Amino acid sequence: MVDTPINLLLVEDNPGDARLIRELLKEVGLPGYQVTQAGHLSQALEAVAGQTFDIILTDLTLPDSRGLEAFRALRTAAPTTAVVVLSGVDDETLAVGAVREGAQDYLDKGRLEPHVLGRAIRYAIERQRAEVELITQEAFYHSLVEHLPQNIFRKDLNERFTFANQRFCQLLGRSREEIIGKTDFDFYPPELATKYQKDDQEVIRSGKIFETVEENVSPSGEKIYVQVVKTPIRDVQGQIFSTQCIFWDITERKRFEEQLQQKNAELAAIAEALRRSHEELKSAQLQLIQAEKMESIGTLAAGVAHEVKNPLAILQMGINYLSKKVPTEDENVAMVLQEMREAITRADATTRSLLEFAASRQLKMRPEDLNDIIHGTLKMVRHALTDSQIEVSRELAESLPKVMADRTQIQQVFVNIFMNAVHAMPKGGQLIVRTYPKTMSETTHREGSRKSTHLWVGEKVVAAEVDDSGTGIPEENLAKIFDPFFTTKPAGQGTGLGLPVSKKIVELHGGAIMIRNRPDGGVRVTLLFKQAKEQT
Amino acid sequence: MSRKKRILLVDDEKSFTSLLKLNLEETNKYEVRVENWAEDAVKAAREFQPDLVLLDIIMPRLPGGNVAALIEADPQLKGTPVVFLTAAVRRAQVEDHDGIIGDHPCLAKPATVEEITAMIEKHARA
Repeated sequence: MVDTPINLLLVEDNPGDARLIRELLKEVGLPGYQVTQAGHLSQALEAVAGQTFDIILTDLTLPDSRGLEAFRALRTAAPTTAVVVLSGVDDETLAVGAVREGAQDYLDKGRLEPHVLGRAIRYAIERQRAEVELITQEAFYHSLVEHLPQNIFRKDLNERFTFANQRFCQLLGRSREEIIGKTDFDFYPPELATKYQKDDQEVIRSGKIFETVEENVSPSGEKIYVQVVKTPIRDVQGQIFSTQCIFWDITERKRFEEQLQQKNAELAAIAEALRRSHEELKSAQLQLIQAEKMESIGTLAAGVAHEVKNPLAILQMGINYLSKKVPTEDENVAMVLQEMREAITRADATTRSLLEFAASRQLKMRPEDLNDIIHGTLKMVRHALTDSQIEVSRELAESLPKVMADRTQIQQVFVNIFMNAVHAMPKGGQLIVRTYPKTMSETTHREGSRKSTHLWVGEKVVAAEVDDSGTGIPEENLAKIFDPFFTTKPAGQGTGLGLPVSKKIVELHGGAIMIRNRPDGGVRVTLLFKQAKEQT
Repeated sequence: MSRKKRILLVDDEKSFTSLLKLNLEETNKYEVRVENWAEDAVKAAREFQPDLVLLDIIMPRLPGGNVAALIEADPQLKGTPVVFLTAAVRRAQVEDHDGIIGDHPCLAKPATVEEITAMIEKHARA
């Protein structure tokens, strides 16, 4: 409400009327007011040019102006000031005309009363302020709609355009008048128009915002992308009566995104290639280090073996000679000689294993059928298996992919594993040999591992499992089973080199060997070999 | 009783040669001469005219392979059977090569007297 002092311009040439109004104003009870009086339009315009009034009360019959002209002149001079027309009995029609042109109200001078005048003044000022604000806001939104870089239009529920902003008009190459009242079918090919209307109907049906990116082809044949936002427009009762669509070209952004994606992919490919080459480099380096290490160990082992074997040969000759010369009646002598013979055999076996362990292996790799190798190896150890009453089950996959392998070396690995199983089942048992192809779901690589080769996730391998029903491996020994010279077998039964040699051979093949206790007793040895690249 | 086969032992290990000599002579089938100096092996062979030479490979100054080549190159000794008896190879390696290394049969030390005599019987000149 108006509660600040009101600055009022009274335009009235009749002194009697003027006095009457001034008297009435005193009785209205305004919070405070100031009156400027003008008898002529020219005086009034002068006053308006000099200060801002909250309200103008004006007669329409002035000495220098008659009819609506006075009102129009004041309105033009003070467009934001509320105007209330004072009319006599004879010019009420004129007063109504002024209201149509923007006057806030008109008052019949013949029926003026304080409360009528007061209310008219207050409401006129309030309404004028509200109108000015509305106009300002509208101008703001209008300017937004017309100057945004987006295309904006509205349609009624019958798909007829009710509004189109400047940009959309330019896009269609039509004036606003040519667009309003038409439908999509007047501007677009039928299939597009149908799609657009379908989207509108979806908005009307769901009452929700609809957003999409459309792929279109520009008249010049280029693919363009358009971001579309459609919203329902509701009336005061909340009923949808219109749809609004805002759309804009995002081709440039899309192209940029596509380029970015492509660059990203290229970058990722480069990073992957880098990772691989780094991996290969590391692998090559480790292999080199390993090869050098093995070569020096090999040289050392060969030297040691040579120096041990010669004395062994001498002892062998000595025992041979003594066996024939010493009386055989003495049981102890025979026993001593036998023990010495066995000691030589053991020492010889150890030097041999040491050489095998240390030998830098030149693998003769060929595509091999692991099932074949297993059949062959089982044949080699069949006496040991039958002697210990071990039952063998073969669960070998049919048409198993080939693996790149040195047959002799892999046979040695299986001999070691089978013989370990035999030793683990002295009173008989079951040996299950299983093969199957598989894709790695976890890598054998461990962070910080210095191993030169690893199996990676997704790599295709052939797995071989050997299960025994023996005593299992005590947990405290599991970590040591691949250590050279670690053995739990009685002296003379094992060199402690079987598993280290096997592990070395498998790793030289780029494969992996794992040994675990089975939950239902016994041990499972798992071997993984890379599948040969070109299957023949 | 046929004549004893003449076996020349060439090996720098004196203990080994003397014990092997004892063992072979014990069989009463062989006449054995020992040569511990590889460079004197050809001279010894010429004098002894062996039916078979048992030859070590790793020897100071002159390796067994060279001695074998010299024997083969000598007009008088050409064709004399040579058997390598060496600690330089493993049994597995010998077996891989069907017991033949560089055209000559081979035995890995330590070998038993039985293995050695079997080899002699197989390859020595009658």
